[in-house]
Amino acid sequence: MSDLDRAIAQLRACRPIPEAEVRELCHKARELLIEEGNVVTVTAPVTICGDIHGQFHDLMELFRVGGDVPDTNYLFMGDFVDRGFYSLESFLLLLCLKVRYPDRMTLIRGNHESRQITTVYGFYDECLRKYGSANVWRYCCDVFDYLALGAIVLGASNTLSPSGDGEAQGSEEDIEIEVCNADGQIMSQFPRQPRGAGNSINRQPPRGRSPNGPTSNGVGPSGTAGGGAATGGAGGAVGLPTNTGPPGSGASGSSGGSIGNPAGAVLCVHGGLSPLIDMVDKIRLLDRKQEVPHEGAMCDLLWSDPDEIDGWGLSPRGAGFLFGADIVKVFNYKNDLSLIARAHQLVMEGFKEMFDTSIVTVWSAPNYCYRCGNVAALLELSEDEGGLGIFARSNGDVNRSDGGLIGGGSGVPGSGPRGVLMENDLASLKPGPARRYRVFQAAPQDSRGMPAKKPVADYFL
Amino acid sequence: MADATAPNDELYPIAVLIDELKHDDVLLRLNAIHRLSTIALALGAERTRDELIPFLDESVEDEDEVLVALSEELGTFIDYVGGPQWGHVLLSPLENLAAIEEPVVRDKAVESLNKICVDLSSQQVEEYFIPLTIRLSKADWFTSKVSGCGLFTAPYSKVSPPIQEQLRQQFGQLVHDDTPMVRRQAATNMAKFVKEMPAAIVVEEMIPMFQHLAQDDQDSVRLLTVEILISIAEVVPKEQQASHGVLLTSLRSLIEDKSWRVRYMIADRFEKIAKAVDEEVVSRDLVPAFVKLLKDNEAEVRTAIAGQIPGFCALVDRTTLLNEIMGSIEDLVSDTSQHVRAALGTQISGLAPILGKQETIDHLLPMFLQMLKDEFPEVRLHIISKLELVNQVIGIDLLSQSLLPAIVQLAEDKQWRVRLAIIEYMPLLASQLGVKFFDEKLSQLCMGWLGDTVFSIREAATHNLKKLTEVFGVEWASEAIIPKVMAMGGHPNYLYRMTTCFAISTLASVVTMDVIAKSILPMLEKLTSDEIPNIRFNVAKTYAVLIGVLRRLPEQGTIYALEQAKTPFTASPRGQQLIDERIMFSLDKLQKDDDVDVRYFATTAAAAAAGLAVSGGEPMNTSP
Repeated sequence: MSDLDRAIAQLRACRPIPEAEVRELCHKARELLIEEGNVVTVTAPVTICGDIHGQFHDLMELFRVGGDVPDTNYLFMGDFVDRGFYSLESFLLLLCLKVRYPDRMTLIRGNHESRQITTVYGFYDECLRKYGSANVWRYCCDVFDYLALGAIVLGASNTLSPSGDGEAQGSEEDIEIEVCNADGQIMSQFPRQPRGAGNSINRQPPRGRSPNGPTSNGVGPSGTAGGGAATGGAGGAVGLPTNTGPPGSGASGSSGGSIGNPAGAVLCVHGGLSPLIDMVDKIRLLDRKQEVPHEGAMCDLLWSDPDEIDGWGLSPRGAGFLFGADIVKVFNYKNDLSLIARAHQLVMEGFKEMFDTSIVTVWSAPNYCYRCGNVAALLELSEDEGGLGIFARSNGDVNRSDGGLIGGGSGVPGSGPRGVLMENDLASLKPGPARRYRVFQAAPQDSRGMPAKKPVADYFL
Repeated sequence: MADATAPNDELYPIAVLIDELKHDDVLLRLNAIHRLSTIALALGAERTRDELIPFLDESVEDEDEVLVALSEELGTFIDYVGGPQWGHVLLSPLENLAAIEEPVVRDKAVESLNKICVDLSSQQVEEYFIPLTIRLSKADWFTSKVSGCGLFTAPYSKVSPPIQEQLRQQFGQLVHDDTPMVRRQAATNMAKFVKEMPAAIVVEEMIPMFQHLAQDDQDSVRLLTVEILISIAEVVPKEQQASHGVLLTSLRSLIEDKSWRVRYMIADRFEKIAKAVDEEVVSRDLVPAFVKLLKDNEAEVRTAIAGQIPGFCALVDRTTLLNEIMGSIEDLVSDTSQHVRAALGTQISGLAPILGKQETIDHLLPMFLQMLKDEFPEVRLHIISKLELVNQVIGIDLLSQSLLPAIVQLAEDKQWRVRLAIIEYMPLLASQLGVKFFDEKLSQLCMGWLGDTVFSIREAATHNLKKLTEVFGVEWASEAIIPKVMAMGGHPNYLYRMTTCFAISTLASVVTMDVIAKSILPMLEKLTSDEIPNIRFNVAKTYAVLIGVLRRLPEQGTIYALEQAKTPFTASPRGQQLIDERIMFSLDKLQKDDDVDVRYFATTAAAAAAGLAVSGGEPMNTSP
């Protein structure tokens, strides 16, 4: 067993690894992360998770429900540390898994992955308590600076395969959303809404069949109005996008012949959008290797929240902005995105789709702060059944994969290199990938392996 | 004490230890105390008696931690002071320790004193030990008296009757002591002390003491008298008990005590009490008391008495049980406290053999059905885990008709941990209920779990299949399980396709060569060209397991079955042939995969096939 596998085993048991090992791990992680772009490209299938906040045992519960690494692919949208009792173990475990299985694991930065925030909300104190010095905190903060700011998921299927035996459904309906409740039984399914022929941008309001109830979806007039604004914005100021590169990039390259990715791309970012970022490519231009600034595009991506407003608004958080449905719709349209997945805000139901399902909040810390009583959720984007969009992930590392140049006929017709996804149907908004949400609860007390009251006890190493 | 500059090198470490006994650092002193026997051995018995023990005698002004260690060490010190005939020299330091404020130190000192007492002669006990007991019991401060309470039982049988009488008198004074701490300790020790005496003396002297304690105004004292009552009832022959009405009155008042802690003790020891008293008391007093406790206001009391149900019910006759007790037990099924219901759940099956078939059907089955629907999973599990007893009484047919729907409902519970718990009972249920029944009623369920939405359930389902194969054999498995497992390999979602890989790895040791060659390998070969790398590397992992199995597998039979039968077996050449021709071919392909993890696991498996030790590997080299 290699050192790394041993460290993983030890961290899985919720025991911290020695300082020297942390140092080495962080060093390796930095070498790995520096090769990743500001926006990592991830291919479906992938399971997307929101905030963890040091709730180690709930992270284990997450793996129990969603499957283990490396068997299941994961994308964590930041906020690994602070507030919970085991920020250190949680973050180091995720980092170890990232280093051990770089292609199976994606970590992006949250607003808590910052020196300033961790000194206030617990991670700094926890490191000090567990190691007696701030060295480990410093190593981790150095890694934070290298974490990617976002990710683009490509190749997600837009139909859900039946879960389990498929006996539950049996219908021919095109299932778009499936919610699996406390642990697995399907609570509700939502067939894909038919879209009006002349209404290429506005979705039909979900007619009260939304998983979060009608209120959270901007139904009725306001939703339509937002959509209308989006149309105007897209048509007037920007014009129809003519780029033919992969979704989420402004590339206009054309290798011709390959069929489009039917579901469109999903942008994953911790907080949300920024008024300074109108194209995903602008994120790619940022210099991310720094402490999270107090303002500017990088700060906004990690701090902003969607809200039921028009345009941009001031954020009560004191950093980032509030943004409305119109902003999201224009952004998605211009960038050829079908959905934005983000975390950052506690939602009692674990997930919340907003603005005609153009943005979703995923929250993965059940019973947040051990007292909020909320459930948590995972978002599973399944692989595209057409066999499209599967290409090796190399992140520029030539040793790790061949970038799709050899072998593996994945059924892409034409001569274009694998990995370039084309979208021919320029005029239509992407129909959005099929989303399966798995809702789960906090790990029961007995699986935490220690009494509830005194979490301080094992800090004396 | 010892010369630290002793020229003799062998004695030097001892000198160091002795210095450490006086060291300022607690840890060093503690360490030295734990090595006390080494010091004593080096000093020799005589110098230990003359120098070390007097020194220790004066070292009671130390940290409690050190004193606990000292008290413990002295208990095993007889050999170092020159054997039992010198054992009494140890009494002096222990007497000092037994008077210390800290209870932990005192308890250890008393324990050591009792240990030493066993080795002392009668004469030594009378000359040294008894005076010590008396001194401690007469001390001014309660700490010494509390220690004294624990020093009556051990010497009692070693001394002459006059001294025994003196001891009893002294003990009586402790029972009547002013401080409740002392009375509590006296009550605790009295239960053991009573057992040393003949019935006549118990009746004459101990019962009055018991009566005094049983009427104590502190409930913490009264609750301890339950044990004394049991001891007295065990010593006094049953036929004489009736003539000592005081025992019965005390028992009645304890049962009706206003403090729930006392009632809890009665409830917790109910079966023991019932066994110690005669049948008349059981039917006249204890049956109503039992019913009363079943209806007690405090959930803790009801929980305790629920634990006594089968034990006590076995002691009463059937008509009484059915007419007087059963109704109250049935009420507990809908008790407001989940802990009471959980305790009932563990015990209620024990009633089935007592009640017999018809009554079990009439009375127990409705209770089972209701408890299987209980909102707390713990209650439901307790019922299921004890079903075997019920099966023995009413038989499989009735059981399946009545209980199975409830079990199935549980197996589909929306809490995945409940489903997980049920899965664990499946092999047990399967072996109890037989293959025909299983195929009809439970098989569907077990296969369904393979496609559960929660990963842990899918994983547990594969382990369950392995255990089922162990129960029902490979013939059954290749018909009932293997096709279903293989079908999962065609699922559109990679997480479910992966279940096939997991299941094959788990089942490898319980299937035959034929099954591997005809069913498993073709499926795996298909999965090697799966589009999702996660599937491909799991195929490689599965190959690694299969290689290990094929290396050992004979032509006929399974590794599990042969190992169980302890039949020696040799590997069939066909296994190696399959590895070379089919598995290695696929692994070669996977080793050229464009995903790094697939290449890693394929290389690991191929190395295992080649018999090489597998080391670190590629994914560690994360930097270009």
